[in-house]
Amino acid sequence: MKHNSVSAVINLVEPWEKLEPLTIARPVGTLPFGGRYRLLDFPLSSIANAGIQNVMIASPRSGRSVSDHIRSGNDWNLDTIRGGLFNFPYNDLSLIAPEKKDTLLHHYYDNAILFLKRSNSEYTVVMGTRNICNIDLKALLRYHKERDNRVTTVYKSVDASEVKPTNTVLQLTENGMATSVVQASKTFPSSEGKLAKDLNIYLMSTVDLVDILNEANQRGDLISLERLMKRAVIQHNANAFEYTGFYANIHDIPSYYKASMSILKEDNFRALFYSQRQIYTKVKNEIPTFFAKSSQVKGSLCGTGGYIEGKIDNSVIFRNVFINRDSLIQDSVIMQGTRIGVGTTIENAVIDKNVVIGPNLELKGTPDEPLVIGKGKRIFRQTEVTNE
Amino acid sequence: MTEKNEMLAIILAGGQGTRLGKLTKSTAKPAIPFGGRYRIIDFTLSNCANSGIDTVGVVTQYQPLELNAHIGNGSSWGLDDQNGGVTVLQPFSSSEGEKFFEGTAHAIYQNIEYIDQQNPEYLLVLSGDHIYKMDYGAMLEYHKAKKASLTVGVIPVSMEEAKRFGMMNTDETDRIIEFEEKPEHPKSDKASMGIYIFNWATLRNYLTTSFTTNNSLEDFGKNVIPMYLANNESTYAYAFDGYWRDVGTIHSLWQANMEFLSPHNSLNIGDHNWRINSKAQVLPPMFLTSTSNVNNSMIVDSCYVAGEVDHSILSQRVSVGTGSRIVDSMIMPGATIGKNVVIDHALVGEEAVIGDGAEVKGTEKDIAVVGYG
Repeated sequence: MKHNSVSAVINLVEPWEKLEPLTIARPVGTLPFGGRYRLLDFPLSSIANAGIQNVMIASPRSGRSVSDHIRSGNDWNLDTIRGGLFNFPYNDLSLIAPEKKDTLLHHYYDNAILFLKRSNSEYTVVMGTRNICNIDLKALLRYHKERDNRVTTVYKSVDASEVKPTNTVLQLTENGMATSVVQASKTFPSSEGKLAKDLNIYLMSTVDLVDILNEANQRGDLISLERLMKRAVIQHNANAFEYTGFYANIHDIPSYYKASMSILKEDNFRALFYSQRQIYTKVKNEIPTFFAKSSQVKGSLCGTGGYIEGKIDNSVIFRNVFINRDSLIQDSVIMQGTRIGVGTTIENAVIDKNVVIGPNLELKGTPDEPLVIGKGKRIFRQTEVTNE
Repeated sequence: MTEKNEMLAIILAGGQGTRLGKLTKSTAKPAIPFGGRYRIIDFTLSNCANSGIDTVGVVTQYQPLELNAHIGNGSSWGLDDQNGGVTVLQPFSSSEGEKFFEGTAHAIYQNIEYIDQQNPEYLLVLSGDHIYKMDYGAMLEYHKAKKASLTVGVIPVSMEEAKRFGMMNTDETDRIIEFEEKPEHPKSDKASMGIYIFNWATLRNYLTTSFTTNNSLEDFGKNVIPMYLANNESTYAYAFDGYWRDVGTIHSLWQANMEFLSPHNSLNIGDHNWRINSKAQVLPPMFLTSTSNVNNSMIVDSCYVAGEVDHSILSQRVSVGTGSRIVDSMIMPGATIGKNVVIDHALVGEEAVIGDGAEVKGTEKDIAVVGYG
């Protein structure tokens, strides 16, 4: 691949309401996942592994957590004299006051157009972050070049039973072309009971993408990039590339919880993290995790910098977590910097970053409705345990 | 020549460390893994960065590839400063011949061009094979306050241990009046840590004179300090009383790793005010399977544990198969330990592969060693 022949746009404007309280202060893209990653790391790693060095990130709000995570982009080989990483804030139209929207009319897509024109790239891939996958973008590009349609999009073939009526899927023709992206309730599974779950990845020539954005500006569109891409699929029909690796879609708390639990299965863990394509993230210098004499850890992932005295079973423990003696963490996700008190039991729960849970408490959810404790909470009484 | 760099640090990392046997067959001693995610030189490099020293030369000679790869551009320690940074100094050929070196002082002399380029007022000479946290800035303040020509870092040792060290006998102002190498009857408890601050101009003079005439100043301990004392240069001892370990032997390396395991170790590795950094690597989190049983141990990223680990350290990318038992041992990065293996009182080298059912057993007195894979 010629240097800089492909650029990438990561669109962080994604539905976040159903992931509250985890998404109160962060976009879906910086949601922690898998013991040491953020969702954004998966598309960024696919980009890095394909040698792409021109990347635009569209953040919904200020992008503070995004900038804090990606810094110069060095951890994804994006700190380069050629191209680099461009983070554009405030792209979430729903957060812009009606009277301010007039000023955006005919200009909402200007930043993206400028980025794409300056990239001098031939092709551009547009991705979101809520579909966790480890995709080979070079293979996607080859697939695109071998076919005639102007747009190529990506799907994973999944059992219809795993798809919610509100999830979006591709409508495929018999010869494997995508004619539209629709809600699952508006289509029918194949004879094998499969649906083509769309991965929200779109590849096209940079010139075509600039045309799409220019036309949207001229029309005075104020719709998200994602909707523009879906429209392009309907308008042009698209080549549909089938992705076959590890996949999880994060759209609400139960799906986030289920995806977290699924990587505790060893074959899933290896498929996602030990393929030929590494997953990169912000590097941190943590000390080793210490497992005390009383600790008992089974079937779990742990980050570094932790101090473990209690029992942990089938759980994802992030970095710098402190688990006191006589406690039990069962089927749960404990994020970075959280402390769990002596004798406390946590089951089917998602505990966000820097939470302090006092001693001798019980925090229990169910697999279908996990208990969630928001970032930075301090809980010292049983009455303070409420599902947010 | 640019503006004067107040203090330049030179880390002597050229030693082979023959007493570490199999572990240093293909790597230099300072590159040996320590404590799960560090290499020995990380302590000295981090001390430099934490002390506000932004220019560091690392003198290498023996098997330098691993050390070079580890140090890179120094960014992992924040030493990729615009105006300084870390430079790996390799022996090279010049019109005066090849710049390999014999002793510690000779190593400085062979790199005199680099030091002149930095133009420092003071030269801090360090060795890359000790485990400790130390503020060299405080030592420099002391050096200036004493108006010293040379300050030697010293650590209190027992009379028994003193017989293995270079001992400094001082007067009541801490001025060094006598130096004894491995004395039979020690007169003080102040052992040299191999840490020196020199006024560079003075040292430069001595070294240049020596190596253009009789080559008498090969080694700091054996030659330079006695010469300074004989010439009445003001030479002071700077007392350090924190955790400090020389890990030059198999037993001391194992011992320091076991001490590192203790949550009460006075090295206090978790102190965020004096972080020890290492080359940053992105690896997946550790995976402990349903058959694992881990107690009293330290484990890091990308380890896979299906067996029992008791009072041991596993470094990055180590895997331990089902039915295996690791006790009182330190396993270096990338080692693969099969099923039903017993490892007891051992140091297992990088990338070593230990087949199913094998036994590696040492004792507290005689630590077993498995070399590099």
